[in-house]
Amino acid sequence: MNILSNFQYHAPKTKAEVLDLLADIGDKSKMLAGGTDLVIMLKEKMIQTENVINIADVKELSGIKFTDNGVEIGACTTISEIENSKELVEKYGALVYAASQLGSYQVRTMATIGGNISHSSPCGETPAPLSALNATVVIESKRGERTVKPEDFILGNRQNILEKDEMVTKFIIPEPVAHSAATYGNIGLRNAMEIDAVNMAVNIELEDDKKTIKSAKLIMGSVAPKPIVSEGVPSLLVGKELNDELIEKVGEAAMSEATPISDVRASAEYRKDVVGALARRLTKEAYNKAMEA
Amino acid sequence: MKQLITLNINNQNYDVIVTPMDLLVDVIRKAIGLTGTKKGCGQGDCGACTVLIDGQPKLSCLTLAITCADKKIITIEGIANEDGTLHPIQDAFLDHGAVQCGFCTPGMILSAKALIDRNPNPSQKEIKTAISGNTCRCTGYINIVSAIESYANLVAEKGAK
Repeated sequence: MNILSNFQYHAPKTKAEVLDLLADIGDKSKMLAGGTDLVIMLKEKMIQTENVINIADVKELSGIKFTDNGVEIGACTTISEIENSKELVEKYGALVYAASQLGSYQVRTMATIGGNISHSSPCGETPAPLSALNATVVIESKRGERTVKPEDFILGNRQNILEKDEMVTKFIIPEPVAHSAATYGNIGLRNAMEIDAVNMAVNIELEDDKKTIKSAKLIMGSVAPKPIVSEGVPSLLVGKELNDELIEKVGEAAMSEATPISDVRASAEYRKDVVGALARRLTKEAYNKAMEA
Repeated sequence: MKQLITLNINNQNYDVIVTPMDLLVDVIRKAIGLTGTKKGCGQGDCGACTVLIDGQPKLSCLTLAITCADKKIITIEGIANEDGTLHPIQDAFLDHGAVQCGFCTPGMILSAKALIDRNPNPSQKEIKTAISGNTCRCTGYINIVSAIESYANLVAEKGAK
């Protein structure tokens, strides 16, 4: 009667127990947190596994903790906890908004931020805003800890840098610097339960004059096998004040860097146009917000 | 492989024998016999299988039953009052004709109840967002949204929950 193929179930209670299990059987295991990707893949026989390690109830791995320098978000923190966090909204609004755009509310009460990046779908909602907010991904194994930027974590469609004994344990997001702001936007076929045709996050930091752009970051998802960090947009913007002509060029630069495919969700041509539109809109929004920040 | 676990559903303990592969929706419907929870797409898209787990609306078709051993589960059968009278949100659905074939209704009601529990005074947009993971192929949603609005108003007036 089972739709799912046979596997052994493990429910470790502490992070140390999880890392022990990964060291022993990590090469024959899948991690279960929210299950919104894993259980579907098991049902569809897209993957098979001998072991499922449920980490959803490991308390050390979840929660939003503010520190002197920013905030730490545990890997098993659910997307709805992020969406509903009144403390996160002010400084990390781009991430909160992206969280609110993922799946449906039921999916968001289950899905976790660690799972979203570890699944490494090209259309994941949270990697782009995490990059824009200069987050660090903390990866742990029994061998120790290492950290990477979100944009260096995903290598391609469902591929990432995790070794078989490693897991993402948390994200560290620094306090935003003065006169900076991040924005996020996504376009899909409908507002809920869609997979993004394009998503994008932008961060703009201004000089003390609150006009001249000191640094800029633009990351786009769903337009290549992994999120693309724009090289052209920062080189266009840094040292300048934003104006209409420059905004047009930002859109063109982002479009030239996107390498989308045509699939059931959107054509490559449409995706390129959306990249241009989102780049223009989000850059303008981030610039205006940074002037107030 | 088989294990005996206790599931707390609608404040009642059920001892059930499961394998790790058993999905919560199947255990609720087949092993326990509470068939109010519906199985629609089986992919997490339609929301018919929505149940409340520790107060949060979740998809029982994507949940392994074995992960719920120490959690409190509420299904549509646990919504009505103990004396058998309907919960005000059920009354609201009836009063507004928000039910046609009924397949989406259990999930819809549980999503709506969870919304009002976390946000007693939702805007129409917030209501639509909250039920955007519950697909109805009959009603066009208008009466469902009206029913949820009227329940929210009732909660605001009388503190009914």
